[in-house]
Amino acid sequence: MTINPDELIIFQLGWFKINATILFTWFVMIFLALGSWLVTRKLSSEGPLSRWQNLLEVLVNGIKGQIREVSRQDPGPYLPFVGTLFIFIAVSNILAIVPGYIPPTSSLSTTAALAICVFIAVPVFGIANQGILDYLRQYLQPTFFMLPFNIIGELSRTLALAVRLYGNMMSGTIIVAILLTITPLIFPVVMQALGLLTGLIQAYIFAILAMVYIASANQAHQEIAKKGER
Amino acid sequence: MIIDWYTIIFQIINFLVIVFLLRRFLYGPIIKAMDDREQKIVEREETAVSSKEKAEQEAEEYRRKSDELEEQQEEILDKAAQEAEEEKKELLDKARSEVEETRKRWVEALEREKESFVAELRRRIGAQACSIARRCLEDLADARLEELIWKLFLQKLAKLPAGEAEELQKALQAEDGKAELVSAFKTPDGQIEELKKSLTEALPGLEEEPAVKAKTDQSLVCGIELQAGGYRVAWNIDSYLEDLEDELLRDLEQAKPADPGEEVPGSDE
Repeated sequence: MTINPDELIIFQLGWFKINATILFTWFVMIFLALGSWLVTRKLSSEGPLSRWQNLLEVLVNGIKGQIREVSRQDPGPYLPFVGTLFIFIAVSNILAIVPGYIPPTSSLSTTAALAICVFIAVPVFGIANQGILDYLRQYLQPTFFMLPFNIIGELSRTLALAVRLYGNMMSGTIIVAILLTITPLIFPVVMQALGLLTGLIQAYIFAILAMVYIASANQAHQEIAKKGER
Repeated sequence: MIIDWYTIIFQIINFLVIVFLLRRFLYGPIIKAMDDREQKIVEREETAVSSKEKAEQEAEEYRRKSDELEEQQEEILDKAAQEAEEEKKELLDKARSEVEETRKRWVEALEREKESFVAELRRRIGAQACSIARRCLEDLADARLEELIWKLFLQKLAKLPAGEAEELQKALQAEDGKAELVSAFKTPDGQIEELKKSLTEALPGLEEEPAVKAKTDQSLVCGIELQAGGYRVAWNIDSYLEDLEDELLRDLEQAKPADPGEEVPGSDE
């Protein structure tokens, strides 16, 4: 039994190898892209909506609402990044009910990759919003001596983000694996159902935390700007 | 090794790709569709608001028009009522005057009828009285009434006052002695002679015997008349009948009903 999907090599050609994580990620990507394309190629802006369009609209609108509530800003620029985090993680986790499927999120590599994306996205959005100098000045707040702590905080929260998701998804997979050896019938199904719930919650938490990090970097700037105005 | 850097880099690339794909196929179109719908809803609301305003304006217009119409109607009705009142008054006046005229005509006709009735009554009473008197005289005095009247007439002629006799004489002379005797009865020739004789006796100034011509007139009822030019000597029962007529008229006047249109003022006190 393999716990880490990274180690499950499907295809290898020299240094180029395709492991289970990458394969199932592709699978999820194709699923999402194809599904979106199928639904959105015939959108209607009036009259009765198709069920799928309605579903996607509810989803997108819900994400927009969450972003707006957390950031108190226009959700437009953040939607693709944060929304994709949520959708990708949620779908990866939900598909765990498909037999033979291993969620890519149960690999620390994937969660670390997502966390690194957030780690990079925070300064990118910050600089895009307020300029590089203003953004860098934040690290000197409230004094110059706080600079190392600010940098450590930035790194540690990225690590926490990665480990939190990994741990939750990994634990789910491991628990199911262990239970299968003890009580092979019925009980694993309950655990798997619980796993679906956990998976959705983790997706939500991951996206919201990413948003909070991005927003906090911008909010500090906005508060300074407001003080300047007064 | 839990963390495989190769996989991490691969996953970062995968994630960026999926961000791009979803942005291309999910967020873009969905948000565009929602915005379009919102836009259309706003447009529809605006249209609805404008058409509502238009409808309200039109309703206001119609309300105003109907108010005007009502006002006009009221005016017309008032005018009609006024005209009807005037017409009524006019008609009443007309009717009243017509009634008044009819009443006047009726009163006049009544008066005329009364007069003609009285005249007729007079004539009949005269005729009746004459015939009664004639019969009484015939039965009682064994003499004809005509003769008595004749004698009375001759007596009157003989006792003619001097002034009147003179006037009669003048009238006779102006007519060359021609005179006319009008009587209700036939006058025998002997009586004419008698009249001529008494005339010459009564009028001593007469140069020649007058020529008397006899004529019968039933309207005299019971009497004799001698006409000469404009002068006349007569005896008839007219004077009696006139007394009778006066009395009758007085009686009739008293019996006349009070005029309803001419109330005596203060009569109801």
